[in-house]
Amino acid sequence: MRHRILVVDDSSSLVLSLAELLKYNGFEVETALSGTEALHKIETEDYDLVICDIEMPGMSGLEFLSHVRKDYEKEIDVILMTGYEDKEYFIEAIRNGAADFIRKPIDSKQMMRSIQTILNRKKRRNDFSEFYNNLEKAEFHFELDPRNFSKFAVSEVFHKFLRQNFDLTHNALNEILICVDEMVYNAYIHGTLGLNVQERVMDHNALQKIINERLQQPEIASKRICFHFSICHKTQTIKITVEDDGPGFDYENWIKKVTNEHKLNLEENGRGIAMLYHLSDKLEFEKEGRTVTISKKLPVNKK
Amino acid sequence: MNIELSINGKVAKMKIEGILNSENAYLLQEKLTEVLNSEATLLELDLLDCRNISSTGIGKIVLFYKDFITKGGEIEVVRSSNSVYELFSMLKLNQLFTVNLG
Repeated sequence: MRHRILVVDDSSSLVLSLAELLKYNGFEVETALSGTEALHKIETEDYDLVICDIEMPGMSGLEFLSHVRKDYEKEIDVILMTGYEDKEYFIEAIRNGAADFIRKPIDSKQMMRSIQTILNRKKRRNDFSEFYNNLEKAEFHFELDPRNFSKFAVSEVFHKFLRQNFDLTHNALNEILICVDEMVYNAYIHGTLGLNVQERVMDHNALQKIINERLQQPEIASKRICFHFSICHKTQTIKITVEDDGPGFDYENWIKKVTNEHKLNLEENGRGIAMLYHLSDKLEFEKEGRTVTISKKLPVNKK
Repeated sequence: MNIELSINGKVAKMKIEGILNSENAYLLQEKLTEVLNSEATLLELDLLDCRNISSTGIGKIVLFYKDFITKGGEIEVVRSSNSVYELFSMLKLNQLFTVNLG
């Protein structure tokens, strides 16, 4: 997979020429014409590196950098660029954690060297990908106390783990994340909390109140959600299993319904199963429906 | 995930970016309630930068749709990403409202 770079500058001609240069050098490039647009982009897409101008109307490059550091800590490296020779800028950029600082007009060779150094450093810093990608099989397992469920967005934690360590296409990654979200959320809402349809469709505050009340009950608080992930490079398959301590459900009937459904379903049940069925290559249930497993064949490439 | 909503008379425009999942679907619900409480009778959804939607997110859209049509409202997905277009087709939501790709 190619590295993704976001180029940010209020000058559209500079953005275009930098984008062309980076694409020519094998990078996947996106552009933004302001700090605000760039923040939206990094919230919704993953980038390995951002190259951002300091002097922009509205949010400056330094303000943008400070937002990135606050919200994303060290995950996204930012190179700042400026046309001015002001040492104060330089010092502030370094204090705010800029990965590098380049001057305009841009020296393309110097910029490419800087990018390569940063990407190599990033790889050494947080990267077990080479290790994971050379294993025949990798797996991990965790158990979640439902009282801590709302503290973490499991699919987001998993997103970072997969993105950092495995070279998956964006499409495959999105589909896996939606499956994880469906499986874990169902284990929580149905298997653990036992919420019914009327409760599930309540507004956020009312639903949170019910969830908090349920979690006070010892028999609910003692339940656990188990998550198991494995990736096998030999078969190029990812397998994810989620198990809850609930009563299970009539999964055979639901599978039958999902596979034979030719009409639009406006009911509030079964949509999650339909999505798991369509987004995975194999969907299996065990233990009266308390355990759900999806398998997905993947084009996993070595980084 | 980011949602931008603008309501101008009878037309509400909503742009969703990122992944709409069970964690953030309530934000969509809040925005849809704003539309429902407004004068708008047409909701134009821009889902081009929406990478995927979970069943909870779809549930919020379907619930909104049911309430919106009772006040004579209509939904149109003016743009959608490939994955969202496929998802809406798979769940047959394109039988409820127009879903445009790209």
